[in-house]
Amino acid sequence: MSLHAQDDPALREAQEARLRAAWQRPTGWLTRWTDTNNNRVGVWYVLTAFAFMLFAGVLALIMRTQLAVPDNDLVGASTFNQLFTLHGSAMMFLFAVPMFEAVSIVLLPQLLGARDLPFPRLSAFGYWSFLIGGVFVLGSIFFDAAPDGGWFMYPPLTTRTDLSGLGADIWMLGLSFIEVSSVAAAVELIVGVLKCRPPGMRLNLMPLYAWYILVVAVMILFAFPPLIAGDILFEMERLLGWPFFDAAKGGDPLLWQHLFWIFGHPEVYIIFLPSIALFAMLIPTFSQRHLLGYPYIVLAAVGTAFLSFGLWVHHMFATGLPKISLAFFSAASQAVVIPTGIQIFAFIATLAAGRVIFSTPLLYATGSLAIFVIGGLTGVMVAVVPFDWQAHDTYFVVAHLHYVLIGGTLMPLFAGLYYYWPLVTGKKLSDRLGRTAFWLLMAGANLTFFPMHLSGLMGMPRRVFTYPEELGLAGLNLASTAGAYLFAVGVLVIVIDLALSPTRAKVKRNPWNAGTLEWLALPEDEDWGIRSVPLIETRYPIWDQPNFVRKVDEGRFFLPDAEEGRRETIVTSVLDARPVAVIRLGTPSWLPILAAITVGGVFILTTYHLYWAALGSGILALGVILRWLWTTAEIPEKPCKPIGHGLELPLYVAGPAAPGWWAVFITMLADATAFSGLLFGYYFFWTVHSDFPPPSAGPAPTWPIAALALTAASWGATIIAREVHRRGRVGLTRVLLALGAALSLASIAAGLAGPWQAQLDPATNTYAAIVWTLAIWTVVHSAVAAIAQLYGLARSLAGRTTPSHDADVRNITLYQHFMLFTAVLTWLTLGLFPEVA
Amino acid sequence: MRVRPGTIVKGLCGTALLFLSGCNRHQSALSPFGDDAARIQVMTVVLVAGAVVIGIAVAALMVWAVRLPANRLTLVGGERFILIAGGIVPSAVLLALLIYSLPAMRPRDVSPGDLNVAVTGEQFWWRVRYEPPGATPLTDANEIRIPVGRTVRLRLLGGDVIHSFWIPGLAGKVDMIPGRENTLVVRATRPGVFRGQCTEFCGLSHALMAFDVVAMPPEAFDAWLAGQQAAPARAAAPGQALFAQHGCGGCHTIRGTEHAGTIGPDLTRMGARRSLGAGTLPPSEANIASFIRHPEHHKPGVRMPAFPHMPEREAMAIARYLKALR
Amino acid sequence: MITRLVDRIQTLRATLWTLIAPPLVWAAHFLLSYLWASVLCAKRGAFATEPALFWGCTVLALVVIVGCGVIAHIQSRVPGDNPPHEQGTKVDRLRFLAYSTLLLAGLSFIGVIFTAVPVLFLTDCR
Repeated sequence: MSLHAQDDPALREAQEARLRAAWQRPTGWLTRWTDTNNNRVGVWYVLTAFAFMLFAGVLALIMRTQLAVPDNDLVGASTFNQLFTLHGSAMMFLFAVPMFEAVSIVLLPQLLGARDLPFPRLSAFGYWSFLIGGVFVLGSIFFDAAPDGGWFMYPPLTTRTDLSGLGADIWMLGLSFIEVSSVAAAVELIVGVLKCRPPGMRLNLMPLYAWYILVVAVMILFAFPPLIAGDILFEMERLLGWPFFDAAKGGDPLLWQHLFWIFGHPEVYIIFLPSIALFAMLIPTFSQRHLLGYPYIVLAAVGTAFLSFGLWVHHMFATGLPKISLAFFSAASQAVVIPTGIQIFAFIATLAAGRVIFSTPLLYATGSLAIFVIGGLTGVMVAVVPFDWQAHDTYFVVAHLHYVLIGGTLMPLFAGLYYYWPLVTGKKLSDRLGRTAFWLLMAGANLTFFPMHLSGLMGMPRRVFTYPEELGLAGLNLASTAGAYLFAVGVLVIVIDLALSPTRAKVKRNPWNAGTLEWLALPEDEDWGIRSVPLIETRYPIWDQPNFVRKVDEGRFFLPDAEEGRRETIVTSVLDARPVAVIRLGTPSWLPILAAITVGGVFILTTYHLYWAALGSGILALGVILRWLWTTAEIPEKPCKPIGHGLELPLYVAGPAAPGWWAVFITMLADATAFSGLLFGYYFFWTVHSDFPPPSAGPAPTWPIAALALTAASWGATIIAREVHRRGRVGLTRVLLALGAALSLASIAAGLAGPWQAQLDPATNTYAAIVWTLAIWTVVHSAVAAIAQLYGLARSLAGRTTPSHDADVRNITLYQHFMLFTAVLTWLTLGLFPEVA
Repeated sequence: MRVRPGTIVKGLCGTALLFLSGCNRHQSALSPFGDDAARIQVMTVVLVAGAVVIGIAVAALMVWAVRLPANRLTLVGGERFILIAGGIVPSAVLLALLIYSLPAMRPRDVSPGDLNVAVTGEQFWWRVRYEPPGATPLTDANEIRIPVGRTVRLRLLGGDVIHSFWIPGLAGKVDMIPGRENTLVVRATRPGVFRGQCTEFCGLSHALMAFDVVAMPPEAFDAWLAGQQAAPARAAAPGQALFAQHGCGGCHTIRGTEHAGTIGPDLTRMGARRSLGAGTLPPSEANIASFIRHPEHHKPGVRMPAFPHMPEREAMAIARYLKALR
Repeated sequence: MITRLVDRIQTLRATLWTLIAPPLVWAAHFLLSYLWASVLCAKRGAFATEPALFWGCTVLALVVIVGCGVIAHIQSRVPGDNPPHEQGTKVDRLRFLAYSTLLLAGLSFIGVIFTAVPVLFLTDCR
């Protein structure tokens, strides 16, 4: 292609027609839901999360109405308990986290000048899982069967089936399902940020939103799996009577609290950082200058991510742990204020250095910072252990957490809503309604939550459905209720503003005069994402790169065409975003929806104890997922294609250069973390009980060591298979893969034989229960290993994996590394630790 | 100058009064009657004052930042501002705060001669057992008496589910966890009647799980304890037979009678209690009778079975009998 | 000699892994401290019996963090393009990663100090 080829308007129109055809959306009334384009899936995701937020808000209003006066009987205790449990759970799991994922699915490809995320079908799967799980959990309140144990579901109240009903199972299984979809989104976003940046966008040029998303997605990988591990133990206890939290049989309720809060505290930052990330985008725009202190923001994001994993026990200051343990966490809780403060001061410095345009989004941003600072300061207070002994589990904490979440999540999202609405719809929202809503929200939030600081210290515990008149809390509570209604009116004004949007005229492109890539989006919707993938040389290319917008629009950068009629995007290297390959993206398909339905079926049917149906659904899910995988890593019709400017990129990559390899790596990192959660349980019981493991309870070392040897052999066979495959010996590869599968299956038998021969009955004591759980976890992974090896064999036989196109074999090897890690820890612990201890 | 905590409480209550509210003085961390709560109250004042100063400073900086004309703050100046205001100053303040708060975490020392009181959280009431050194233990429920000026060691035990023991005026809260024993060492500083409440969500009637705390002059406490340990003489009453006839003794103990159930609260001192149903109702005879027939109306999820078919007259007789127990 | 060392350091690679090295050290130190105290309290009823172990780990952690910081500091001064060092060049990417690492080393240093302070004040397992 010559340098001036793009000067020809006819050529450009032909390219646009081909792009439009490749990115043609499905339009049938049913098939439209099979769409995978991030523009559509992201918007569905946002709207669904917003609807769930409104629903959870209504629940809160009912609660505040009940608490308006002392000794009220508007709703009974049972309903009230369902209300607050569902309010908290929905705001956390169905609004805050999914909303961040949703916004990122909409924005990230635009921010990175990519056509779409690397795994569009995975986004769609995440969305449908979220919808199914969310409706399942929230719908339960209409059947008076909603969870009622509080959003952290402390056992034994929630594990004893005589004290809690179906609601607990709905919470555990419904939300576990959603956690799985969150991990899926994290995989998508990490790979997106690391591998799908435009050429030239080195790490130091990445939009700060992308930095935050990378950090938060990595946090999800390490924060959610411990909760999934906890959920597994929890449901084993509820459904099968395996005693993990039942003190009478050797369990300990505190194990749940550890696992929950190892998730729960990073969770706070998981929902706070992406909202702050929106500030990092809009504050430079409305200061009309670069963000001041870019490395400081990166420091803050990364530093917060680390420190946030050292805070979990500050939710357990009253549990009677040794004071020294509490003190470590108190210290870390103080330390985490530092990076949080740094990012706030970076924003202040940017505003100070720039020419401030006080727009509606900026109004929301400054207002939320003010609210957040109050929440942060009370956060420092509750990090002080003696003060927390008074404030813990009272309305003081309710006030604190709502200041943090309203100032750190909800209001920033409204700021983002007013800022990015033109990006998605091409229209601005009303400044007048927006500002009216803002002041209503500010007044409402403060009137609701400020008095709660006092009512908490004056003796009002949280989660009470009523309070006696004699406590003298009537006035404070009435004020809070009035504030809640004021806040609701504010939200209503925003909803009205959104509803009026279709009647308004479109505005010009990039209406705020922003400098970052996402504002290349045209008011008129085109599904291809970006006309040509630009070469990035600065942090604010629209401001700083000459003729940037025109060159993008005229297709003068990379990949301006879709010659083969395929959806494509560019893969680049991690540090310096050097172009590595062009990958073909997934197209609209029923597979993600089917996968969501069948995987969801496993969780939902288990809730109702329909185990055989759940097993059936699981087998279907496995089938759908394998079918889905079968479509990936296809061998292209030609090895390379030109993307403009004389650059020719391969159409197939394998190993660490490939997004698929990273997806496996990241998923397995999450999997290994969940496993660590289970293993933590084993050693936790060792620390709390002097007779754990019970002397001579078994299993003897023989079988666990045999299982380990078999797994190691299977691992070895796979590695050799990869190497001989690379050298072209396909036949030997197939033999080795089959051998590996056989060894994996044998390791299952050996693994189960240990606890079986020792006659450990998991329903009678905690030791047996945790041994069986670890063994089952590991053999299930061996089963997946066998399936993966057989899949590789099938791909080879079908000609979809060849020595020059060996992504499958490489990914299977990667899985085997993690498999070996799990097996080593499990089998050595089960076989040898009883001897050591 | 040292600010007296009392002044602060008045100030805070004054603010609260703006919300047309009376300040309670019997279940409030802002109205301490124990050493630990008083110490934490001082800490609260320090923390609030610091938070107010910092909050105002940040707000002022934000206003300054928005108003400052463009390009007056250079890149170097801005980064130095972030480093100092966002990094160095907070680090120093927080380190000071940490050093200030750590010694306050040390628990009070106990000696073997101190009174132990074991309290167990049950759905939705409190099992109380006084364990004076060298004397027979005494079981009671839903009321805790402590001697002023003496160190008392509270042994907090988990019953059915997790509860949390909180007497805001006396000290911070400590959880009661099944399978674990926690300790809270306290010392009351002035006599009076106060209130405590469960603060860990524990089921349907979590909101209705409170108890009375009576801080007594030490001599009065000793006399009371000694009086209780002597076996009380029980005169026959019409309600007593009905109490037996309806099987109440299967769950409740009344010392000095054959009733020795341990599932529900000990009723030996029922007539002397200041509330009914763990701080739920005033202890009138009518309320007691109503509670016997329909406990779930007053306390959702209560473990006590209902006696809806018991004639009102009989329930009243039992109530009169219980009201006479002291 | 020093200049040779500086030159050598400036050619070291800075990646996302080196970026997170200082906070990883903080995390390891934090986890060790917590496990040290809680396991010993649970198993022996006293944790401060071998304080040298703890202080040794703390000093080691601080030394490693300072080391990361020094390397990062040297790397962040690699001569190259003009300030404000936010160009799309290899040097500016290195300078950015190095400067961020330096800042993280500072934060991690404070974090380790914060973690160590409680051991000065609390000495038993109550």
